[in-house]
Amino acid sequence: MARKRGRGMAAGWYGIARTASIDRAGTWVELDDGGTAKVVTGVTEIGEGILTVLAQIAAEELGIRPEDVTVGDNDTARVPEAAHAGATRQTYMIGNSVALACREARARLFDEMAAHWGTDAASLRAHNGTLRAEGTNLKCAMREAVDICKKRGVVPVGAASFTAHHTGLDAADGSGRPWQAYVFGCQVAEVEVDTVTGEVQVLGVWAAHDVGRAVNPKGVEGQIEGGVVQALGQGLMEHYQTVDGHTVTPGFAKYILPTALDVPQVTCVIVEDPDPIGPLGVKGIGEPAMVPTIPAVMNAIYDAIGVRITTLPATPESIVAALGRKRQAETAAQARAQ
Amino acid sequence: MPDLSLSVTVNGRTLHRTVPPHLRLLDLLREDLHLTGSKEGCGAGECGTCSVFVDGVLLKSCLVPAAKVDGADVETVESLGPRGALSVVQRAFHKAGASQCGYCIPGMVMAATAALRSNPRLGDEEIKERLGGNICRCTGYQKIFDAVALARDVLCGVRPASALDEEELKDGSFIGTSVRRLDAPSKVTGALRYAGDMTLPGMLHVKVLRSPHAHAVIRSLDTSEAEAMDGVAAIVTAADVPGKDGFGVFVRDQPVMARGKVRYVGEAIAAVAAEDLVTATRALAKIKVAYEILPGVFDPDAALMPGAPVLHDYAADNLVKHIPIRKGDVEAGFAAADVIIEECFETQQVEHAYLEPEAGLAYVDPDGVVTVHSPSQNITHHRHMLSDILALPINKVRMIMSPVGGGFGGKEDMIYQGMLALLAMKTGQPVRLVFTREESVSTTAKRHSARISYRMGLARDGRITASEIRAVYDGGAYGMSTEGVIRKGAILAGGPYAIPNVKIDTYGVYTNNTPSGAFRSFGSLQTQFATESMLDMAAERLGLDPFELRRRNAMRAGDTTHTQQRLDSASLLDVLAGAEGAARWERGAPVVRGAVRGDLAGEGTRPPCRLGARFAAPVPEAQAEEVA
Ligand code: FES
Ligand code: FES
Repeated sequence: MARKRGRGMAAGWYGIARTASIDRAGTWVELDDGGTAKVVTGVTEIGEGILTVLAQIAAEELGIRPEDVTVGDNDTARVPEAAHAGATRQTYMIGNSVALACREARARLFDEMAAHWGTDAASLRAHNGTLRAEGTNLKCAMREAVDICKKRGVVPVGAASFTAHHTGLDAADGSGRPWQAYVFGCQVAEVEVDTVTGEVQVLGVWAAHDVGRAVNPKGVEGQIEGGVVQALGQGLMEHYQTVDGHTVTPGFAKYILPTALDVPQVTCVIVEDPDPIGPLGVKGIGEPAMVPTIPAVMNAIYDAIGVRITTLPATPESIVAALGRKRQAETAAQARAQ
Repeated sequence: MPDLSLSVTVNGRTLHRTVPPHLRLLDLLREDLHLTGSKEGCGAGECGTCSVFVDGVLLKSCLVPAAKVDGADVETVESLGPRGALSVVQRAFHKAGASQCGYCIPGMVMAATAALRSNPRLGDEEIKERLGGNICRCTGYQKIFDAVALARDVLCGVRPASALDEEELKDGSFIGTSVRRLDAPSKVTGALRYAGDMTLPGMLHVKVLRSPHAHAVIRSLDTSEAEAMDGVAAIVTAADVPGKDGFGVFVRDQPVMARGKVRYVGEAIAAVAAEDLVTATRALAKIKVAYEILPGVFDPDAALMPGAPVLHDYAADNLVKHIPIRKGDVEAGFAAADVIIEECFETQQVEHAYLEPEAGLAYVDPDGVVTVHSPSQNITHHRHMLSDILALPINKVRMIMSPVGGGFGGKEDMIYQGMLALLAMKTGQPVRLVFTREESVSTTAKRHSARISYRMGLARDGRITASEIRAVYDGGAYGMSTEGVIRKGAILAGGPYAIPNVKIDTYGVYTNNTPSGAFRSFGSLQTQFATESMLDMAAERLGLDPFELRRRNAMRAGDTTHTQQRLDSASLLDVLAGAEGAARWERGAPVVRGAVRGDLAGEGTRPPCRLGARFAAPVPEAQAEEVA
């Protein structure tokens, strides 16, 4: 049979936010007219969906709806610093920072409303656009609450900074606390290898990843699926090549990327082991999603055809060559045995 | 060739234009009509971001000369949603979470619409075939397939229209609910403007002169003839940098443009701002540069040898950085091992291939604030560096992060923002630079290639007694994020396992290759690929199931990491169980047992591609309606 199947698995781990240096993110929040909110922070969306995640966090903390939240961002002259959009730090650093700033703005509003209603601020709950005082029949729309708060002379604003207390590594033995939150992942890959052409098709990937707490499960899946496919590209086909420093793969005709026809079905398993330090329990997923895929696929190739790929990418040519070497070695071993 | 006149209907409006023969339909749409929903991802027919309908046929508008659409009816993504509303396909993309950075999405929506128009009941495998000409770098395509299937089902009446609506809250909380992405409507309609879609009155166009040599001294650089050309507003070189010229995340070793020396092919030497791109391109040819070619070094191990060509004066050994990690006593660990496995691994340089090539727009505002819009992943740090480079107070430099059409770390390192700022200051006009795909691939940072030698000792019961890992990463010509990459590569190299004795060394090395920089999973993908391969080799030798081997070594709460940090929580056992269960893993040692496994080809796998076998369509139930 020219086509052989196999399965492999691999695990991996990752640190959340900046490595071996203190990390920080700032946010300003205003509960605004109409029961809406402005959330202003340094950097957000690079495609991963963080804008929506921040709006969900703000909505939950402020008691309004995500579509009522306007995120002001991405402008060094107008927003507080939130450092950079990378290092799997957005949900952790900026998400936690947004939550803290929202809590401050909410506390301002609650204090005024408690005084207005003559209740205890601790009894107030805001959710999905409505404010209630527990144990009473007092309630009003958040729109009204903001209006009352302002008529009492108070603009309900908040600000916060969230810090991750990381330390540098010792220069001699590398000891240190590079991160405060770690995530773990594990993936299984199933492949079919054509032993004549050397083509590897990845048919299925099962990916289990700890994200702390999934704010938007579909967004988490999107990160896992995208990460798996990017890793699969590096594992099987992508190769930026230069000859004496001159690029020989300058466009997509030469630099081969995974297309809709190359991708496996991806099954995501979201594991939630809450971060014990941050206020939300969230961690992250962007980068760790990529980590186990390549070794899982290489282990699956081994399971299918008994060839261990140690040099990436595992192109059809390299699979055929490796199978040839394996056959030669087997023939030589047989000859020696006779 | 003379200009050509054409009349064409675009989104229902008939236009008459006289166009130069080189003008592409994509240019007509974007530059003339400001229909920027069609994107230029490659300009070569390879990516599908520029997809439009011409007389109802899906075409890549970067390949169509404008003159060819004379008399034709052109529809762009802007025509799909009637006046701000979303089509069913667009709503399905919104609901399914099919857009991430969004740059491929208008083209995907067009391809999906074309597929459903031609076969309203297309099967799941045909969806993949129909989208095969459109690249997406973000989503892994899964949610895009879901979106097209959802649109099909709604249009066929198999699922109700309410399937496109927002989901109910999970447990009454917005956290934990898959709220539809708030930015998706602007992405599925093509309304979102990336830096290359933005224009300002009086805007100049920028082109960059790049080094044809990997390592050379610049003997002379003469821009006078180019500067005198009609339509050229200004040219900047290293001589125009007023402040401290150098950028980089850990060591600021890279000048905004080559300063006396080039260190890689494609390094920027001069930038021209002109009235149009054609003039800017012509001006590049008039810039005279005399080079003295130096020997180059293209392999990191060779670069570490004594006598190798030296790239930077400050680093005579070509070493960017070395990160050591030591824990326990590895020699004692190997002595105690029953099995020792040794192997070498190599990983390649990889391109981020975000669909949005680098682009930026800069101007000096009326208060004298130098403002740069670019899809930068690190505006905070770029502002610090630019303030030093431009010798301006930090509040006179303003970095605005334009929508990022895919980053993956590749837009973290500052590469071209300095040139834009200098040209804006020199001309007093807005300037815009958009990289071609070739420029983006061959001149910006890559994932580091790495060479890893690995030695692992294990006891017969599978416990790892020692790991010794040495990884050499090719940093290319400049430092960029290399130090951070090799640090993360080192910290995570040993894997999530409690190992008493560890010796890890990672090295970042200068060579005359395209610089390497930040890339999703930042140096650890390389070392963890090696670790997880080693573990399967060990599992085979020891006759252990690979999950079991990892469980026996798993870091648990209370264990210390390779950098001697005590972990308060660790979820490795949970994710192992999660993957093992979901995949219905059949236990056993990894002894090439593919042929006898019982867990293959079940739920969670797709059928393998067999050429020509994908058009069996299984979805005809209710009546298909008109496709939007
Ligand atoms: S196919 Fe036209 S821009 Fe890529
Ligand atoms: S969403 Fe497809 S390229 Fe980013």
